[in-house]
Amino acid sequence: MSLDDPKGGIALTLNGEAVILGADPAARLSEVLRERAGARDVKVGCNAGDCGACTVLLDGEAVCACITAAGQVEGRVVETQRGLLEGPEGQRLAAAFQRHQAAQCGICTPGMMVSAAALLRRGGALNEAAVADALGGVLCRCTGYRKIIDAVLDASRHKALVAEGDRAPVSEGGVGARVERLDGWPKVAGLERFGDDVAPADALSLRVIRSPFHRAGFTFGDLDAYRAAAGLELVLTAKDVPGENCFGVIPGFEDQPVFAEGETRFKGEAVAAVVGTPEALAALPDFPVTWEERPANLTPRGAAEAAQLHGTRADNVMCRGRVARGDAAGAMPGAAHVVSGDFSTGFIEHAYIEPEAAVARRVGDRIEVQCCTQAPYMNRDGLARILGLAPGDVRILPTATGGGFGSKLDLTAQPYVALAAWRLNRPVRIAYTRTESIASSTKRHPSEIRMEIGADAEGRLVAETFDGVFNTGAYASWGPTVANRVPIHASGPYLTPNYRADSAGVHTNTAPSGAFRGFGVPQSAVAQEQLFDMLAEKLGMDRLAFRKLNCLRNGDPTVTGQVFETGMGIEACFEALEPHWAWALAGAEQFNATHDTVKRGVGVAGGWYGCGNTSMSNPSTIRAGVTPAGEVVLHQGAMDIGQGSNTVITQIFAEALGVSVSQVALVGPDTDVTPDAGKTSASRQTFITGNAARLAGAALRAQILRLGNVGEGAEIGFEDGTIVLSEGGEKRRVELPQDEGYALEVTESYDPPTLPLDENGQGVPYAVFGTTAQMAELEVDLELGTVKLLRIVAAHDVGRAINPLLVEGQIEGGVAQGLGLALMEEFLPGRTENLHDYLIPTIGDVPPIESIIIESGDEHGPFGAKGLGEHCLIPTAPAVLNAIAHASGARIHHLPATPATVRAAILAQRENGTE
Amino acid sequence: MKRFEFIQPSSVEEALAAWEPGAAWLGGGTNLLDLMKIGAMQPDRVIDITRLPGLSGIETLSDGSIRIGALVRNSDLAVNATVARDLPMVAEALLSGASGQLRNAATVGGNLMQHTRCNYFQDPHAACNRREPGAGCDAREAGDRMALLGWSDGCIATNPSDFCVPLAALDAVIEVRGPQGAREIHVSEFHLLPGDNPQRVTALEPGELILALRLPPEATAFAGHARYLKVRDRTSFAFAMSSAAAALKMEDGRISDARLALGAVAAKPWRAAEAEAMLSGAAPEEALFTRAADAALAEAKPSGDNAWKIDLARRTAVRALLMAAAGTPARIPALPASPFGSKVGDLAHA
Repeated sequence: MSLDDPKGGIALTLNGEAVILGADPAARLSEVLRERAGARDVKVGCNAGDCGACTVLLDGEAVCACITAAGQVEGRVVETQRGLLEGPEGQRLAAAFQRHQAAQCGICTPGMMVSAAALLRRGGALNEAAVADALGGVLCRCTGYRKIIDAVLDASRHKALVAEGDRAPVSEGGVGARVERLDGWPKVAGLERFGDDVAPADALSLRVIRSPFHRAGFTFGDLDAYRAAAGLELVLTAKDVPGENCFGVIPGFEDQPVFAEGETRFKGEAVAAVVGTPEALAALPDFPVTWEERPANLTPRGAAEAAQLHGTRADNVMCRGRVARGDAAGAMPGAAHVVSGDFSTGFIEHAYIEPEAAVARRVGDRIEVQCCTQAPYMNRDGLARILGLAPGDVRILPTATGGGFGSKLDLTAQPYVALAAWRLNRPVRIAYTRTESIASSTKRHPSEIRMEIGADAEGRLVAETFDGVFNTGAYASWGPTVANRVPIHASGPYLTPNYRADSAGVHTNTAPSGAFRGFGVPQSAVAQEQLFDMLAEKLGMDRLAFRKLNCLRNGDPTVTGQVFETGMGIEACFEALEPHWAWALAGAEQFNATHDTVKRGVGVAGGWYGCGNTSMSNPSTIRAGVTPAGEVVLHQGAMDIGQGSNTVITQIFAEALGVSVSQVALVGPDTDVTPDAGKTSASRQTFITGNAARLAGAALRAQILRLGNVGEGAEIGFEDGTIVLSEGGEKRRVELPQDEGYALEVTESYDPPTLPLDENGQGVPYAVFGTTAQMAELEVDLELGTVKLLRIVAAHDVGRAINPLLVEGQIEGGVAQGLGLALMEEFLPGRTENLHDYLIPTIGDVPPIESIIIESGDEHGPFGAKGLGEHCLIPTAPAVLNAIAHASGARIHHLPATPATVRAAILAQRENGTE
Repeated sequence: MKRFEFIQPSSVEEALAAWEPGAAWLGGGTNLLDLMKIGAMQPDRVIDITRLPGLSGIETLSDGSIRIGALVRNSDLAVNATVARDLPMVAEALLSGASGQLRNAATVGGNLMQHTRCNYFQDPHAACNRREPGAGCDAREAGDRMALLGWSDGCIATNPSDFCVPLAALDAVIEVRGPQGAREIHVSEFHLLPGDNPQRVTALEPGELILALRLPPEATAFAGHARYLKVRDRTSFAFAMSSAAAALKMEDGRISDARLALGAVAAKPWRAAEAEAMLSGAAPEEALFTRAADAALAEAKPSGDNAWKIDLARRTAVRALLMAAAGTPARIPALPASPFGSKVGDLAHA
């Protein structure tokens, strides 16, 4: 057998059925199952055995289908998530995963459930360690794993674990209810369809040709001859872009070409694309391009002297940000105690388990793109500009999105397939390889921060200065947002009378830094919250008491001069930690009295985050209607990338309308039929789209009540095409108008009230801030530098928890990402473009997490709710680093705190101690 | 990916006959398939050996040796009762490696043949003498986790295997067969140091196939005091920053025989013979272990920005010896080979 003439087929039993699949025997089993057998419940995340999303059972044992050669399964039994649902283990797991909300985005769920099924079949009582071992090869970036562990343990018992009391999930309920994810079932049943799951069978494939150098000039050979010789349909380069060869996300900062022209600015930048049948691409000869490697600059330090990346940005400074209040420089000398330090963090990769994927088709003179995304309308407008079309001639049909965390806001794969489909008038698909995804997608900005903080003799903050340089990479992306947002947040949620914070985003020859959960705030918190510990130590104060003393309270001005009269909940967050703090400190003291090599430490940190875009209009619009048949339809345009907006927005809408969630049918974010609910970013969906949904629900309710001429308190129901209104024990039926389309329809928008910032950053940047305080307990092995997390306690003021179950999911997932930032993650351009060199936390790395929900309400939030997504990871890293310092005496200034870094810090601290 | 032939022989003889220059054996596929897809390996012919009969057994021979077939999967080997009882640090090393999925696919023979995880070997655009003799070594410029011992200017890559570290400590023997017939290779001579020929990574001659692995009878004498320790960036599913397999034979409170091998420090699992000699006959004390570890790392020198690794490797060795001295736990800890997984519990041979 060979690739040239695959003989016969590969016979196997797939989910109980005998099948013969025509395939190259050396093809990946994952690819054969997906493309030949239609088993799209087998997901592909890395194609290297690193992520486990493709896990199938082979003769009952969990293996990665991506590194199993198809020929090796001849005559064997293969089971996937879909097949397992026919059996008892799969059914119990599906029910438990849904009950525990163990699936967020759902891309890892097939791998998790298949691995767990093999474990359950072995029988016997399970414990957490056994689950962690069996699922250790499946990566999840959303959940923090804790709910997955709970679900598997639950499924291993024949009676449900969590069916007690008010913590039990429910399938009905309004605001405040632990409603099970409304879109959860497809995820646990193997039916969810992500970016690479929807292409038609006849779609052509596209591959992007990318720069192998950090900076290079390039010239193409004879592309026409190459295309013909390689049997390709199309070769695309910059000259094939009919509109502008440029995209971006911030007005005035659109600077990234679809295809580089003349010079590439980072390793992994696109210069061309080839389009053809999968067979033609599999046998693709070397692309005719000649590279001329040029000197590249990878860090801000050398940026001023390096070649200009963008003509108008002197010294390669993209932009700067500043907030100044009082007189920091003047007040600092008067402080009784002053601490200062330099801190740095590296590039962080989002590492969603679903790589970028899209399929495009031309429909007449319009283009339709199905893709995973966080921002359908922004993608639409960006594509229209590239294609030279009106925005209305571009339709974005989002698929399920297998994690985003900020990087799926920007255009990635969409322009390539759209350009190709437009030219060829045939559907064209692409799924990024993991290497391509990591090399070319945006990253969390590396930071270099110098900060100084002074306090008076009683421990009250006197002054802070902050100077942060952020490596924004080759293109702007969301860099301006980071530069603006950080100075506003670098004080943390503390009363800081004299403050000056400066930031700069600097271009280098690296992948663009963009949006990543927190937009620079997690980096500034690493500096500020560690310095707080150092300051408390100087003061001889308890570290939590020091923070509580300095908390912002209602009526206090923030560093931008904004005053919240209600809803500033940070003090309540710290208060909620107090009993845990005292207990943990006592435990650590006791442990350390009898242990010399391993020491226990406890750390705490606070955080805050303004919901929505900074001092900018960022409205959301919600459309809803009632069909002539009496079905309530909610056009829910807030992309649910796993965080739960499909459920939360529906709960808000249903509550405002006065119906149950099960009465609401959802129409998803399709730019042709669902209005713009803005981007899933900046923790804005619950707050902003939630408000639009509240307004839409209330408006629809008002219409219905008016139609029936009943009072405010009437109950709304629907029966056989009529509205049933109940009021004071009486029922009134109202016929629905039998119009085309909706019988009743509303469209409502909400835009948060903000005010511009002046030259000193004074103003009202956000209508709402959410706050949080987290505590970490851990052990440090002083001789090996290794760290083991024991427990996280996370208190979050969410204003009002629309759905506490989903709040916990956000907290646990954010904490896991914070642990990764603190302990193991760093993207090094060209060296960590896979998931065995770029490490994210596995199931064994995330300790028990206790979530404490504080509900201090909010003036603007829907039913008092604030956003939550970004807040969850902001205090985690500094809490962990403060705990490491507590355990070992060693202060970590440069992340991540790998065993080597921790050990070096311990040695340095000992050296300093003996001086 | 380059075109190649895929062959599935049904006997060892057929497999050997199918071999030709440029061919590669395919076992569990966890390493080879990945390297082929990224272009780091480009065989002309892939010979799937997973269906060869007679290579999947684990047996105790009449002289007390334990013989393990080349196709035994890592997951089966780790839970085999004989291995768990008599070769506990082999089981611990296996369970600390990769993930459940990979252990279900990976074979004994494949693990012995595992390629380095050096970024520059894996990146077809980078210069690598191991992949392309004479091309140079980009790792010299930037590597910070590379070899400390036995490296050359041509290559500073390390062997990533956990499994091979206790094998080196326990004098395993590898049975191979090839065009010139059958022969045995001692594990310490199986993996080659780079020298001037970094492209040659094992002692296998062209066309030779691993049939089995044999642990000599004396390997089981260390079962009461044998541990594998692995320092890594995350709790599981990560390659070692440094590791050590330490095994002691205890008589009347003294060490009568000792074995020590280090992982992730060289192109082969690094047997520390001088350290072993210092340990034999002495009382098990931390000061002694520290001296032994110093001896084990005496020749270590940084190959890049990795001087920190010398200290870590030394401390890993000390800790592994301390853990071995404390006795093998009755059950493999929940976190195999972790410094946090070994604090309490019954001893296997108390």
